[in-house]
Amino acid sequence: MERPDAGLSARGIVVRFDGLTAIDRVSISLQAGGILGLIGPNGAGKSTLVNALTGFQRPTEGSVHLDRTEITGWPPDRIARRGLARTFQAGRLFRGLSVLENLAAAAVGSGLSRREAEARALELLGWMDFAEHAELDAGSLPYGDQRRVGIGRALAVGPTYLLLDEPAAGMSDAECDDLVALIDRIPREFGCGVLLIEHNMRVIMNVCPRIHVIESGRTLAQGSPAEIRSNDAVVHAYLGTKTERGRAER
Amino acid sequence: MSGSRLRSLLEAYSTPVLLSSILSLVVVVVWMNASGVLAQTVTDALIRVVLVVGLYIFVGNSGVLAFGHIAFTMIGAYATAWLTLSTFKKSFALQLPAILAEHQYPVFPSAIAASSLAAVVALIVGIPIMRLSGISAAIATLAVLGMFHTFYNNWGPWTMGAATLPGVPLYVDMWVALGWVVFAIFVAFIYQRSRYGLALRATREDEFGARAAGISIPRQRLIAFVISAFFMGLGGVLQAHFLGSIAVKNFWLSLTFISLAMLIIGGQRSLTGAVVGASVISAITEVLRLVENGIEVGGTTISLPPGSQELGIALVMLLVLIFRPSGITGGRELRLRLSRRARGA
Repeated sequence: MERPDAGLSARGIVVRFDGLTAIDRVSISLQAGGILGLIGPNGAGKSTLVNALTGFQRPTEGSVHLDRTEITGWPPDRIARRGLARTFQAGRLFRGLSVLENLAAAAVGSGLSRREAEARALELLGWMDFAEHAELDAGSLPYGDQRRVGIGRALAVGPTYLLLDEPAAGMSDAECDDLVALIDRIPREFGCGVLLIEHNMRVIMNVCPRIHVIESGRTLAQGSPAEIRSNDAVVHAYLGTKTERGRAER
Repeated sequence: MSGSRLRSLLEAYSTPVLLSSILSLVVVVVWMNASGVLAQTVTDALIRVVLVVGLYIFVGNSGVLAFGHIAFTMIGAYATAWLTLSTFKKSFALQLPAILAEHQYPVFPSAIAASSLAAVVALIVGIPIMRLSGISAAIATLAVLGMFHTFYNNWGPWTMGAATLPGVPLYVDMWVALGWVVFAIFVAFIYQRSRYGLALRATREDEFGARAAGISIPRQRLIAFVISAFFMGLGGVLQAHFLGSIAVKNFWLSLTFISLAMLIIGGQRSLTGAVVGASVISAITEVLRLVENGIEVGGTTISLPPGSQELGIALVMLLVLIFRPSGITGGRELRLRLSRRARGA
């Protein structure tokens, strides 16, 4: 078997639930310092793929390597400690803990002492321009801010690869632009690779030099934003779902 | 310089300092003014505080309900009896191995050893159980209680079976109990502030989020379970040396549920809640007990029918749960802010 490259590399991932194939032979690779966009219509299997990469869902077939170490089947916490962090669409913050404690808990989870964890958490909050909210309960924050804390918490793990699961969901355009600016800085300032899962084209097209499109669990297209925009299959998949949704709403 | 360091240290530890001070104050007032009976009541309540703080370390920080902790209390109580009974009493009540039968050990190291035994047992039973979550974990801990209950009930040579084991040296008074309460409160607080406590509280808030943050849920729960069992065991030790006798039937469902009720009524998400719950319920129980026995008001004796104690506690519990679902303290800690812009613990 050939050696996988350095980076986060998933090969031939298949996830099947009771005969239903949610992910069908998808391969993806991400280098440290790069940003890869993962898009697809609702129900395409984006979140299932993220779960398969981060250990929350064991792939039925295929393998995941993190810098040449096979991590397929590892429990999620072990994968996180190895340097692959993620956010959740649903936020999943520690709602009853303060913002500072949310980040510090993740830093502690990655193996830091309490003191080091608090220092890292404060530093990250400063970086995110969020230090004045450090003492608030995470659950009391407005929606957009919760998303940001989620990203801060994932960064507090000290990842080499970061998977952002629809960070812009439910955000206004202005909040999206702030988010784009924040995500854009991550590879440069933390040296980590980012896999950005989004539904929102505005976010994806602005930050990702490479985009991977999946539909119905299969890879539909890969390439630069310009290539993706002019790809007939992609345009069809997106317009198709929009029309169907329009019909359903009516 | 050193003044501000002291101030920030005091601020960081204001919760255990305040809680300990308040309990100490109560003990001093009772010691100066009241009869021996009230001192006994206060001692009993302080032992309950140790138990509820012990329960809090696991249940409060993990959010996992545990019904089996009283097994550790029983283990601690019997272990201290094996160590501290006089060799004469041991020789006719129990059949112990020579190392226990032929020696009578001093009470303080025995208290540590007996509590540690409870912790070791928790480590062993905890390894499989801490992998479970939610209701399965709760039921599994109940099974542990049932198992040890049956075992001790039938382990004649070591426990005298279902009979009461008498003759445990009496040395626990209000002051001894207070000393251990202060110790328990400080350890619980230091744990909760530590990296382990923070990680466990994160798992309580969101299991998926915690795992994505690199936190191993079984490992963090196990750490708390073991520390928690130490204090449950210590509570058993104190109770044994306060009452002078122990019986398996006293470490069963009623003690399990009253300890949980104290924690939930006080507010299971904070150490302050554990201390407040144990103190308030002990106080209410005592008042109801007095009234059950009859009190004189203006020449007539008022007495409540037997059973009022239990009904009263149940009523208080209902009222608290209805009007303050997260307990009297609502999961907040009692704390002191000395500087203008204080940062939390």
